[in-house]
This record gives sequence, C-alpha cells and structure tokens, in this order.
Amino acid sequence: MTKRLAMVLGLVALAVALVAASAQAGHKTHKVTEVTVAGWSSGGDEDNLLQQVINVFNKTHPSVHATLQIINTNYGDAMTARFAAHNPPDVFYVDSYVAGAWEKQKVLQPLNGYIKKSHYNTKKFYPKLLGAFMHGKTIYGFPKDWSPLATETNNGLFAKAGIRKAPKTWAQLKSDAKTLQQHGVAHPICLSPDWARMLAFIYQNGGSIKNVQSKASAQAVNFYVGLLKSGLAATSSQLGDGWCGQALGDGHSAIIFEGNWLLPYMKSTYPNVKYGVSPMVKGKVRGNLAFTVSYSMSTFTKNKQAAWTLLSWLEGKKGERLWMSKGLALSPRSDVKTIGGRAPFLASAPYSHGWGFGNPNFNAAYTVMSNDITAVIKGDKTVQQMLADVAAALKGQ
Amino acid sequence: MMATSATGAAPARLGFRSTMVGARLREAGWGYGFALVPIAVFGLFFIYPFIYAVYISFFHWGILGKQAGGHGTFNYSKVLHDPIFHTALKTIAEYTVVVVPLELALGLSLALLINQQIRGRNFFRSAFYFPSIASSVAITTIALYIFAANGLFNQIIGGNKAWFADADTVLWSIVGLNAWTTSGTVMLFYLAALQTIPNDVYEAAAVDGTGAWRTFWRITFPLLKPAHFFCLVVFGIGALKLFDQAFIASNGTGGPNYATTTPIFYIYNEAFHNYDFGVAAAAGVIYFVIIFFLTVVQRLTVGRQEAA
Repeated sequence: MTKRLAMVLGLVALAVALVAASAQAGHKTHKVTEVTVAGWSSGGDEDNLLQQVINVFNKTHPSVHATLQIINTNYGDAMTARFAAHNPPDVFYVDSYVAGAWEKQKVLQPLNGYIKKSHYNTKKFYPKLLGAFMHGKTIYGFPKDWSPLATETNNGLFAKAGIRKAPKTWAQLKSDAKTLQQHGVAHPICLSPDWARMLAFIYQNGGSIKNVQSKASAQAVNFYVGLLKSGLAATSSQLGDGWCGQALGDGHSAIIFEGNWLLPYMKSTYPNVKYGVSPMVKGKVRGNLAFTVSYSMSTFTKNKQAAWTLLSWLEGKKGERLWMSKGLALSPRSDVKTIGGRAPFLASAPYSHGWGFGNPNFNAAYTVMSNDITAVIKGDKTVQQMLADVAAALKGQ
Repeated sequence: MMATSATGAAPARLGFRSTMVGARLREAGWGYGFALVPIAVFGLFFIYPFIYAVYISFFHWGILGKQAGGHGTFNYSKVLHDPIFHTALKTIAEYTVVVVPLELALGLSLALLINQQIRGRNFFRSAFYFPSIASSVAITTIALYIFAANGLFNQIIGGNKAWFADADTVLWSIVGLNAWTTSGTVMLFYLAALQTIPNDVYEAAAVDGTGAWRTFWRITFPLLKPAHFFCLVVFGIGALKLFDQAFIASNGTGGPNYATTTPIFYIYNEAFHNYDFGVAAAAGVIYFVIIFFLTVVQRLTVGRQEAA
C-alpha cells in the first residue's frame, strides 16, 4: 500500500516537473519584449489609425509587443520631464523644430549603428526631410510624415476679380492682390505674423536660416512686412479670424499660405467654399518649409533592439503604406505614394527645408522670432534689429 | 506617623511629578509627531527643491543634469544682463501695480454688497466666488474667444480688435480677467473681516448722524486694516507669479512683442524651451530675492501701521 502510494506520488511529481519544464521551455521560445511608443494626439481619426498600425505591427512581430501612449498634455514639457526622470517611452514623436535641441541634450539615440547592422535603406526618404533629424552624418530619427506650405486661393473671389490662375511669382502675387483690392477685397492676402511662414519667402529670395542677416533675407522680410504695411495683406486677427484658413473660408481674404492641414479643415468647416491649392509662390528661386515629425528612439530604452525593430518597421515601406492609407498626411518616402489631391504639396519636396533646420537652439530662437516679428510689424523694431536678435538666438546667445 | 506620612508623601510627589513629566513628554511627542508630517512635506517639496535650485544655478545644467563648462555665477550674470528679463520685470511691475488695487477694490465692493441684508445674499456670494474656483485655463480660453476680433465683446461694442493678440492691450486684458476671477476670494477675506467689526461703532456713528460714505471711510475702511495688509501681501505675491494666463494668451511665446513675458514665464522658457536649467534656477533665485525684499518692505510699512 505504502509502496503503491509512493509510486503514485512519484509519478505525479514527475508529471508536474515535466509540465513545469515544458512551460518554462515554451516561455523561453516565446519571450515577448515590451516597448512603448508615444506621440501627441492629432484628433480621433489619426489616433485610431496609429493604433491600427501598431496592432498590425504586434500581429506580425510576435517577439515584440508595442503599446501606444498618447500624451495629451503639452508634449514637449511632458517629454522633458520624462527625460529628466530617465524614463521616456522607447520610441516617440520628435517635432523637427525641437530635434536639434534634443540631440544636443543627448536624449535621442543615434541610429547609424542599427542602420548599418540591419542594412536599412535610408535613401528612400526625401533628403531634406531626413536632414531635419541629422547632425552631421548622425541620424537621430526618420520623418514619419510632413507638410510643406502651398498657395491656397478662394475661387469665388478670384472669379469676381476676373483672375483665372493662382499667382506663381511674387510679382503676380502683388498684382493679383491689387486687382482683388480693386474688386472689393480690402486685404486680399492673409499673412501670419510668424516666421513659420515668412522663412519660406526668405528661402525664395535666396536667403536661409544660416545667413539670416544677409541682404537676401532682409529683402524678403521687407517684402513680407511690406505686404502687411501696404494693406495688400492683413493678419488673421486683423481680419477678425482665428487663423488664415478661417479667413479663406469666410471670404475675408483670397490668398493664403498654409499646409496640408487646411484640407480636412475646409472639408469639415467650409464644405461649400470652392478653393484652389497651387504650389507655393516663387521668388528668385523656389523655396518652402517642411513641417515634419520623426519617430526617434530614447537613449534610455533598455530594449534598444526591440525599439529599433518597431521604429524601422513604422518607417519602412509597410508601416508608411499603412500610415498613408487614409490620406491624413504626406509620405516622407519616395517609394510610398500619398493618397490623391496632394500634388501641389508633394511637388515642393525637393526644395522644402525641414522646419528646425537641425539647429540645437532653434526651439529657443523661435520664441525670439515670434516676439520680434510682431514688433517689426508694429514698427517697434527695425528689420535689421530683428535679424540680429534672431541670428544671436540661433547661436544660443 | 508624621515621619511615615512624610516619607510616604515624597514618593507620592515624585510619582506625581514623573507622571506629569511623562504626560508632558507624551504631549510634546504627539505635538512634534503631528508637526513632523507637514514639516517633512514642506521640507521635501519646498526647502529641498529651493536648496537644489540654488545649487544648480551655479552650473551649466541641461535636461540630464550637470553639463561641461565649469561652475560660477555666470548664470546670474546672464540673467541680470538679459534685456528680456528686464522687460519681464517691467511688465510684472506694471501688472501688479494695477491688478492688486483693482482686485482689492472689487473684492471689497462685493464684500460690502454681500454684507448687507439683501435677498438672495447666498446666491450672490456663490456667484461672485465661482470664478475663483473655476479653472484659470478654462476661463482664459473662454475669454480668448469672447475677446477675439470676431468675438462676442467686439460684436457688442462694434469693434474688431483682438484684445488678447495685440501687444498694446493683451496685458490689460489679463489684468481685467484676473481682477474679475480673483475678486471672489478677496471678497471672502473682506467679508470675514467685516463681520468682526462690532456693531457698537456703527451705532455710535449713527447716533452722531454720520452719513454712509463718511462711516465707510472713517470707520469701516480703517478697521479693515489687517485685511488690507493680508490681501495686499497674499494677492501681491499672487500677481507677481503670473504665468498661466500669459502662457495661454500668447500661445506659449510670451508675446506679442514680449508683452506677456513675465519673470515666471522667463524661468519656464529658459527651462523648457532653452533647456538651460541653470539660467532658469538663477532667474528663480533672483526673483525670490526680489519678492522677499518687497514683502519685507511691505511688512515694515503697511504691516507696522497695521500692528499699531
């Protein structure tokens, strides 16, 4: 009886041990690495699409599980606090205007080692967009999408003034504005008191952020501010609107310079207003700005390989195709098509400069830019003073 | 017997004394125990960060801590020579000088109104206090809509000025907004003070045939001196800490044309836009010294009169 009991107990123990061992073995073969990916909310549609993209990644990559975190508060401040606590997400959005500063603060992981190891093809990204996330030859992120500026025109006001085509040059812009003014549009152009619009004109005149105090830059600023001072243009607040998109929809102005984000706004807010989208006006040369955001990796991530697997997939052909599937954004890759109606935007990819320009002091300098441009428009500061202030701020002085 | 009683009384007295000492010790222990918790919280969240801020103000300090470049008073020098910091000080001085008297005047007026035996007194008290407990972010956002170029305010007056987007009007718009939102709290302090004034003095004034206006200026206003001092210090310091309304109105730029750049905004900007926490800490220490000095001056002037 005792012998039989001992045998039964022995067999049970053996079975338990075998089950435990097999479970352990199974666990080893299916080890899943958790990674977090974070970004800000850009509305319900975009959040849902991003979750769908992450779900596809999780399905196709059983060894890595990505969890999406949407940061609804002030993204830059929230991320700064997480960096300071050495606890940021593994992969996250980086706006190009802050990329240089975060690179300098050493919170972004250089990706060159992973690119080399996995033979990742970076040539499919538009070089100027990728350049916004590079310092020298070091890559700190890949652009996930982007938007340049374009010239948008109110068809009704143009027809009333007998103008058939959108202006293509600065000279046409001025002459069209004068014609529109003669036909009752008090301020035909809506211009934002913002370097995020004016810098496009600086590039069109042969200036740049690197030679911001040059004659070409000063001429472009004078042209831009001159349009406002002459009354051919007005700011959205002068027109009684929240932003220039609203001014276009309300018919308070006939010409504006906005990005891809205007299209869903017009569709939802002014579905009956007919408007045209044309490439950005041209000065001496073509010039535009690219507002872009990257996926980058944290220097603190403990699961760097898994984070790279996620990042490279999101930025790869498959990930980008999914991301572009609803036409919410423009593709940063030449081998992934953007859904229709965005040709005037896409045309400017070769000459669009990534907003932020890789300058580590750009985030701080933008505060100076925003304040000084209003002072120049108001006449409290000269153009030369503003350009000197901005040049100093860009140098971190 | 006597001896017995004498020898018996001594241990009894000793026992009583030791019981008293024990009770006092226990009482002190409980007292210190209860005080320890808030002191620990105060130390952890106020004293320690302050000392730490003073420490980092002597270094180049980025997001991840100390950076190369030595140590010294260079951050203080940078702040003291920065024209934007000077502008911020000028802006906050103008703001405080206007907003505090306005808040006090409005709060006192409301308190005087509520202190009357009027119908619906409780409703008015709650209604006047409501803006004080509402989120300043929500109130500022609503104000931005109301005072926008095409907002309700302009539709009423027939104008088209964007009150919060114009460098000439933005600060005064914030003054108006904050005077309104803070007046409810001021009202409560004044109401409490008004209710401590004995009726006898008013009865004596009435017997003498003193009018309402004279009664207010000669009796009520002087007897509210402790409340004046308290409100001046508390709301004065509150005004000097202006940040959220300025941040929201300027969309985080401190503009237009630095019109909403306050010292606290300057500190925020240095820390979260420039990532120069050393400069931000130095600006914080300098501003602390300024506020401390102003409070001491206030104490020595208005406070001394109040004590007298």
